[in-house]
Amino acid sequence: MRATPIGNVVRYLLVDRVTFLLLPWAWAAFGFVLDVVILQLTPAGHSDRRWVGGLAAAFLVVFVLGVQSVANALPFALSIGVSRRTYFLGVTSLALALAVCFGLVVTAGQGVESATGGWGMHMAYFRVPYLLDGPWYRSWLTAATLFVLLFVYGMWYGLIHRRSGLPGTMVFGAAQLGVLALAAVIVTGLHGWNRVGHFCTALTAVGLTGILAAAVAVMLAGGFATLRRLTV
Amino acid sequence: MTPAISVTGLGRRYRNHEALAGVTFEIGTPCIAGLVGRNGAGKTTLLRILGGQEFATSGQVRVLGAEPLENDAVLRRIVLVREDQTYPDLKVRHAIAAASLMYPNWDADLAATLVDAYELPPSRPIKKLSRGMRTALGITIGLAARAEVTLFDEPYAGLDAVARTLFYDQLLADYTAHPRCILLSTHLVDEAAELLDRIVVVDHGRLVLDAATDDLRGTATTVTGPARDVERFIAGRTTLSTRTLGTNTRAVMVGRLDSRDRELAGHLRLRLEGLTLQQLAVHAAERHDPSALTAAEAS
Repeated sequence: MRATPIGNVVRYLLVDRVTFLLLPWAWAAFGFVLDVVILQLTPAGHSDRRWVGGLAAAFLVVFVLGVQSVANALPFALSIGVSRRTYFLGVTSLALALAVCFGLVVTAGQGVESATGGWGMHMAYFRVPYLLDGPWYRSWLTAATLFVLLFVYGMWYGLIHRRSGLPGTMVFGAAQLGVLALAAVIVTGLHGWNRVGHFCTALTAVGLTGILAAAVAVMLAGGFATLRRLTV
Repeated sequence: MTPAISVTGLGRRYRNHEALAGVTFEIGTPCIAGLVGRNGAGKTTLLRILGGQEFATSGQVRVLGAEPLENDAVLRRIVLVREDQTYPDLKVRHAIAAASLMYPNWDADLAATLVDAYELPPSRPIKKLSRGMRTALGITIGLAARAEVTLFDEPYAGLDAVARTLFYDQLLADYTAHPRCILLSTHLVDEAAELLDRIVVVDHGRLVLDAATDDLRGTATTVTGPARDVERFIAGRTTLSTRTLGTNTRAVMVGRLDSRDRELAGHLRLRLEGLTLQQLAVHAAERHDPSALTAAEAS
């Protein structure tokens, strides 16, 4: 049985399995080793959890994978009979599948971390305060959402770069900062910082995950709009 | 029968530059057609539009009876191999494996044969290949895909003469076994002349010649000899160019020669040489008016 066109795009991208499956966790392992070394060299203190940030490496690499999935792989795909729409759906499917699997890895890591007393040194490598610190299913959902968000964000950057080059990418980045600055100006003008602060403190991890999911939807829409008129 | 490629009034404009304007032609299948033109003539733009990679500003494009743009059913029957193809960060064997996923008629044996013939190292990253090897990889994918519409953009850029001959041989052998529509843009028309059933010439974005190669052969002749005798010989005929150097004149005249013409040329001691397809393409591009050539082709 032949795979569907979308399935073929996923298989096409996974021809480079090392990059898409192993690279994030190779960097995560590197971050883990660095964190272990740092914890060995620093005083333990009285906290029962020693928070570290090495897991961020896996998330950052997933952002790079998103860029890579379109910056280099798209032109060849269009040459071998794939439409833009099918390619987009294929990459998005891969992003979702990877996010679900990588989220499970984080959840499994949290399980091992709990069982070993934080790797024997109270290290909280797979746990992130507030964000990835709840029950396993919530950590899974939040981690998966974060992974897919970073992938599609990287993909959108890659599409902008492919369509408009470096100047367009710079404008894209600047426009995002501009939107944030404008939002800050509006909130200041409306004297709304108290409400913003209250909203942030009241926001649960699940609520934040919902906001991240909404951001994913916005980025997917933006990415598709960018891809529709892209030429190679 | 539906033509494999049908283009009507095709135009593509980039701000102040008109890459294609009012291009209209049809190519049936099976056929090997050559797309000829100077650098910047619009060949790559045309192929990219046919392959769904570029958007037309005006006109209509049909490939295998349907609009190719964002049409998966059509696109999976097209392969476009470009000279400036961007490849992902993959090894040679990975790129071939990736291409094999997309084409139902993919011929793995042919791909393996071509990899061996071009001495492509399967485990070498594509970014470390020489220009010629990258070209050979494109040829391998383009031929092994067995796509019903195969588009090659300058397929042998960077290839040496031996490798180019190998390409011609493989193309012809595979085309004979699996006839399909192959459109290849090229500067080396004469080298590929034996392969081509048809020639399409574009210049400054406009179609200047579209004819079967068999019809074009013998439509124009270079006449060289003493100026007075050449003038006598070409009197009343359409000429594409005339150049006099000292007492000798070299004229390019349009029209097929019959036995009486050859007899007269022999009597006047004139040298006659048929124009090659390459020379015909150059004249067509220079004149921007193929009517003389096509009139001769019809006569």
